[in-house]
Amino acid sequence: MKKTSKLGRSRRDFLKSAAATAAFAAVGGLARTARGQSNEPIKIGQPTILSGRVARLGESSRDGAQMAIDAFNAAGGLNGRKLQLVTRDSKGRPDEAARVVRELINTDKCQIILDSEASSAAFAVQEVIRQTGTLCMHACSETTSLTANPKIRAANAFRCARQDIHDSIAGGRYAAQFVKQQGFKRWMICSPDYAYGRDVSALFFHFLKESEPSVEVVSETWPKLFAPDYTENITKILQTKPQALYSALYGGDLVTFIDQGNLYGLFDQLTLFDPNMADYTTLEAVKKLPKGIHSGDRYLSTFPNTKANADWAAEYQKKFNVPPINWSWQNYVGMTFIIEAMKKTGSVDSKALSDAIRGMTIDSPFGVDGKITMRAEDQTIINYAIGWGVIIPNAPYLEDIKPADWNVILELEKDWKKKKGYI
Amino acid sequence: MNLPALLDCVSSSSCVVTQVSTGLIIGMLLFLVASGLTLIFGVLGVINFTHGSFYMLGAYFSLTAYRVTGSYFDAVIAGALGVAVFGVVFERLFISPVYNSNVLMQLLVCYAFILILDDVVKIVWGTDFQTMGMPATFALPPIHLFGGFVPPFYVFLTGLTVAAAFSLSVLVNKTRFGKLVRAAAVNRQMLSCLGVNTSLLYAAVFGLGSLLAGAAGALAAPVRSMSPEMGFSILIESFIVTVIGGMGSIIGAFFAAVLVGIIRAFGSIGYPLFTDGLMFAFMALVLLVKPTGLFGRKLA
Amino acid sequence: MALSGCLVVIALALTLDNPQFADFVLRLSIFGLYALSLNLLVGYAGLVSFGHAMFFGFGAYAFGLLMQTGLVSIPLAFVVSIAGAAVLAVSVGALCIRLKDIYFGILTLAFQMLLHAVILSWVSLTGGDQGLQGGIPRPPFLGVDLGNPKQFFVLACVFFFGLVLLVRQMVESPFGYSLRMVRDNPERALALGLSVQRYKLAAFVISGTIAANAGVLMSLYVSGAYPNFAYWTLSGDGILMIMLGGMTVFLGPIAGAGIFLMLNGIITRTTEYSGLVMGIVLLCVVLGLRRGVLDFVFERCGPWAVRRLSREG
Repeated sequence: MKKTSKLGRSRRDFLKSAAATAAFAAVGGLARTARGQSNEPIKIGQPTILSGRVARLGESSRDGAQMAIDAFNAAGGLNGRKLQLVTRDSKGRPDEAARVVRELINTDKCQIILDSEASSAAFAVQEVIRQTGTLCMHACSETTSLTANPKIRAANAFRCARQDIHDSIAGGRYAAQFVKQQGFKRWMICSPDYAYGRDVSALFFHFLKESEPSVEVVSETWPKLFAPDYTENITKILQTKPQALYSALYGGDLVTFIDQGNLYGLFDQLTLFDPNMADYTTLEAVKKLPKGIHSGDRYLSTFPNTKANADWAAEYQKKFNVPPINWSWQNYVGMTFIIEAMKKTGSVDSKALSDAIRGMTIDSPFGVDGKITMRAEDQTIINYAIGWGVIIPNAPYLEDIKPADWNVILELEKDWKKKKGYI
Repeated sequence: MNLPALLDCVSSSSCVVTQVSTGLIIGMLLFLVASGLTLIFGVLGVINFTHGSFYMLGAYFSLTAYRVTGSYFDAVIAGALGVAVFGVVFERLFISPVYNSNVLMQLLVCYAFILILDDVVKIVWGTDFQTMGMPATFALPPIHLFGGFVPPFYVFLTGLTVAAAFSLSVLVNKTRFGKLVRAAAVNRQMLSCLGVNTSLLYAAVFGLGSLLAGAAGALAAPVRSMSPEMGFSILIESFIVTVIGGMGSIIGAFFAAVLVGIIRAFGSIGYPLFTDGLMFAFMALVLLVKPTGLFGRKLA
Repeated sequence: MALSGCLVVIALALTLDNPQFADFVLRLSIFGLYALSLNLLVGYAGLVSFGHAMFFGFGAYAFGLLMQTGLVSIPLAFVVSIAGAAVLAVSVGALCIRLKDIYFGILTLAFQMLLHAVILSWVSLTGGDQGLQGGIPRPPFLGVDLGNPKQFFVLACVFFFGLVLLVRQMVESPFGYSLRMVRDNPERALALGLSVQRYKLAAFVISGTIAANAGVLMSLYVSGAYPNFAYWTLSGDGILMIMLGGMTVFLGPIAGAGIFLMLNGIITRTTEYSGLVMGIVLLCVVLGLRRGVLDFVFERCGPWAVRRLSREG
């Protein structure tokens, strides 16, 4: 065993020297940054998911942010300093996301974090930047509590993404209209069994019942996230015979659910409400789209139906050769907020930028009336386009879109927050 | 937990018929995937953790073939054979060197390939999920049966799986190849001394197991969207089935698959939020009572 | 020797004041402990567990939940979570050690996935897939304030070196040698009057408790706990670490954890296809180094070399 420990020691020595080398390299990097302050690029760190099933999230987030950055750099950047995006894969794991953000800040010397993580990792990122004080823009997490809950909110962190609560109020109100017209009272839930699916379904029915108390949820079924087979869920729905079905499934799962549901003729027997159907990737993947699905807008180049929005989508398509999706616009707008704040303050200081972004309103093709505001009180965006309509099989895919009334959304949101004890 | 709903269902014949047929359908697809895994373990003693990735490859191969030829039949053949060839090459180059190593070595080789294949699929077919769409032959309305619904496509899949299970058991139990396979499972060295080329035999068995995984991926392609890492959930499911049925037992896998299907079909009514936990609890129970599974024999 | 090593690392980190280096040392102490505890089971007792992350996850969640109640101090929460992990390990271990070889591994995996399923579905307690949110409070105790990164770093290092020393003492003690005999020749151990099952259970419990220590450290480090701490991928990563570093050398698992962390860091920094590169590196290590490792093992009569010898000879 003596030999063993000797070998062990040499390994440890190796490790130590390797770590020391890495440390010296990092110090060298620091010195370099200090020297070239005037024209060194301003680095923006972007933790996201680039592998596995939702790698599209990372790709579209990167593309969306890059588009805003390229335009800013082409116009000369910040007094000659260019922006540089450093995108890194966390595989969606919260502990890995925390590590990646630390590394982006400490080693890569990123001064701003554009967080393009899905929800659970976004919460982990929030804890890191709370400690480091780095300016952070969450551009993908839709979970309301990230910014609504004062215990989780941070002064240097903003959200530039849809929010569960906004989507659910809009959806609930829209469905209430529909219930009034059709008299459908028997509803059922079929949503993915994880936080997003549960929260958004509960909120939807909370607001639907608020305006139509006669609505009854007769049964629920909760497939796993990424489940390959929905047969048991579909036959359960058939057994229950609801008049309408609410589902928060999205992407590949939604496509599989629709394909398998078609085998049973499921959608001839009920009306489906899904906030996530109107997404170009999903729509193009479904080979046989059932008639009359109701959906919210994720991203559509025709809603808001303005030239600015159509032009933006065309430019994006030309640049990246894929149509933009929800994450594209969210990251684009998130980056735009940061850029506008830089222009306004002429600085990259976290505190100065945060103060500038808080309450800022920018021109944006995705806003109602062409404007989106970063609400000061909880540092999240409002006034972005939300609408529900009926899915049709070909472009523009969503018709009869009823834009949501932001006055109603804000009012109901406030009541709900009071009930939750957030304000 | 929702016991009243479960009791309601059990007392209604149409619900029982639908849920049992649902269980059978789920079970058949599970068996198709799990049979390859259990076959390889039974003979080679290797848990092929890349099995889920082979399923994924089968689906993607068939997708490409379907886009080129427009024929679902050709697509399934392409998926199954393509993966079989890949499996043989994989076995010769990467698995055969670690047959005699401990199980951790085999595990790591498989793990490395899970990582590699997911990225290869991402590079070749892209990150977006993809779909094949239902071939025109099967785009028929569901059949009414005792007040329940059964889609014709699932009838076809179920029939095919039963046929596959039957031919597999004939192959293993009645043919010369089967005799050799069973002999190899018991004592490879002895078989080798008797002049049988066991390397070839091993490669053939591995190829057959891969073929089953590829076929399952290809057959299910019309109703399951594809994306990198889709093999992950498939691996877990087929692993559970294999363990419950008894690792190495084809018959066991068949019954376990049906059992799991039925549990899931009724579990979705009675325990909608804990079906996963239920599966693992059941697996632990089986292992504790009979470690070799419901139908497993004590391996030599 | 170990003490001086500990002091050197702490001093180095404090003088350099490089957060990246400190981060690496912290992560190394977490995963090093985790891999070391797994190797106690796999390497020394010959029990190949596929479900080791169960204890890591349990430690992280138990500690995080206790601290979030705001009623207990850090040392108390620590002691309670470790005791809880020990109880869990005794009950799970008592069932698992009845099985042999691969079946033992699969049963541990089943229990781990059961715990994972419970964490996911018990949303009101654990936060489900979102994990424990809102951070973990660190009230100062005995003059130590873990909210201060430097103090946390020093404490974690001392904790790590202390536990490593403890494990080292254990594997070099008569207990450690009995474990090796139980692994290599259970019949002989039985003939000598050792209770084979009792030794296996003891190894299982000790190993599980140390993994829970690593879990507690992790929950403090990321200020939260997430379901993937109890998922089988983490069990797999543990096996990867001990295989990379070597199972027959005492410090092998820690070196393996270091290699794993560095590899992961370098790969995610340089390529988007991290799986592809990681997979190829792994293959090279497993298939390329195989002969070297085997030779090494033959020389030292490691666990599976003996099994292999007895099978062939």
